[in-house]
Amino acid sequence: MGPLIKLIVLNVVVYAILKFVVPNIPGSAPLPASLVFLYMMLTTSGFVIFATVSAESKEAFWGPIQRFLTGENIGGLQALRYGVLILFPLLIGWQTYNSTAVSDAPPSENRTIHPAPPGEYTGLSNPISKTPDAIQQGKGYYAAFCSPCHGGNFDGKGSAARGFNPPPANFSDPTTIAMLQESYLFWRIKKGGVGLPIEGMPWKSAMPRWEVELPDEWIWKIIMGEYDGAHQAPRTWE
Amino acid sequence: MTQRLKHIVPNVVVGVWLAMGLLTVQPVSAEEKAKVVAPPESTLQSVSVSAPLVKGALPADDPNAAVWSSATMARFPMSPQVHWPTRILEATVKDLNVRALHDGTNISILLEYADPTEDPDDAAAIEFMVGDKKAHFAHGQPMAQVEGGPVNIWYWKNKDNKGVDMNAKGFGTIKVQTHQDVKAKGAYSNGTWKVVFTRPLSTEHPEEDTQIKTGGFINIAFAVWDGKKDASGELKEKGSQKAVTAWWNFRAEAPPDYSTYYYAAIAVGVALGFQFVLIRKLKKGHSA
Repeated sequence: MGPLIKLIVLNVVVYAILKFVVPNIPGSAPLPASLVFLYMMLTTSGFVIFATVSAESKEAFWGPIQRFLTGENIGGLQALRYGVLILFPLLIGWQTYNSTAVSDAPPSENRTIHPAPPGEYTGLSNPISKTPDAIQQGKGYYAAFCSPCHGGNFDGKGSAARGFNPPPANFSDPTTIAMLQESYLFWRIKKGGVGLPIEGMPWKSAMPRWEVELPDEWIWKIIMGEYDGAHQAPRTWE
Repeated sequence: MTQRLKHIVPNVVVGVWLAMGLLTVQPVSAEEKAKVVAPPESTLQSVSVSAPLVKGALPADDPNAAVWSSATMARFPMSPQVHWPTRILEATVKDLNVRALHDGTNISILLEYADPTEDPDDAAAIEFMVGDKKAHFAHGQPMAQVEGGPVNIWYWKNKDNKGVDMNAKGFGTIKVQTHQDVKAKGAYSNGTWKVVFTRPLSTEHPEEDTQIKTGGFINIAFAVWDGKKDASGELKEKGSQKAVTAWWNFRAEAPPDYSTYYYAAIAVGVALGFQFVLIRKLKKGHSA
């Protein structure tokens, strides 16, 4: 088998593994196309280095490529050669067109959903003892103040949620309050959307600044009610 | 000579390989990006309003003009204003359809929404950021960690049936401008309001008016008030009690630009030239 064929076979195998085997490993996920491409590039560069270490192996590797490009003694491959020579400039042109064409899509915005809180809001612990009464009170306040957007089922699907972008957080989703500490929620409830740093795009958030309407004690109880109602637990570092 | 070529060829092959790889990856990664930008829920929901350039007069006084159909309709869900007291937990208008057209000088924006009753206090508004600073969608209220800018509000109320050009930077700071550039006209029929707002794309007051440059996206938000009165004679929706949208994107389309085709043609030419030179050198190398 010539080195060129080996290279092609190797790349096909690498592609198949990355595309079909890796995503099926438990705990894994489909790889982004850019990463698959990167791995195939590495495979190819590695192979090229390996194939060109000696003069003979170099000839075995580059020889067929040179002969194909110059069209000397390639017989039936001549048509394929013309195909490649026509197709390559067209592909380059198409690529240029795609990269310079004005996009119809609005600019994408990378909003950080959980930006770092200000220092004074890290590591605060809930001063209210976790009694059934306190949790029940928290749920009552939640129903009155939070559920219109965050939903009676803690799923972010309240009746007032539909118009907002970003949408209100879904507390039953394990990537929201389950990833955060109680002090983080205290900050977000107290200061609201307008309290976010720039990477959180505060100008888009509809979250009220509850410090102007609710006492701290109510906010701490709401936090308890939220975790309990959404069947989640605050993140701890222990 | 052959030795030198043997140095060149590997680079060329890697270059070709890279180009082919990028060609395969580019559309795929574009698809991946598009998924992130896509609207959160319903497929009926838009993320932007795009105003095509039209020849001839804009239908500034005619919400029912046929030319409106040449603009793509954007559809935005509305929420009751719950962000700040005084709140409202349910508003009449749930969805807003928006179309826009421009003629290179003026822009016309058509809002269309269902409202079961025509009332003198029915009202609608469009909001923009002014200048380079970001402004919160709730009247440009102050943000704790970001210095915000003002918002420009174009307001229309049925009983006056005209546009009002206003500014705000925080709640309770709304101010009617001394120079009025916005025209507005509403028409009600069959349970549907259609309201057209028109203004020059650019004005002489960049500190107060949003400036619309063709081709670029800017932020836009909307509000609607149902001016119906309840049993006690109180207005159902007024002031901060209204239906609102979040910030979305707005653009007045630029005139067609053909430079993309020129760039593509140049790229094809360069690639052809590269092939020609490469093969000629390879052939010379072989015969040498």
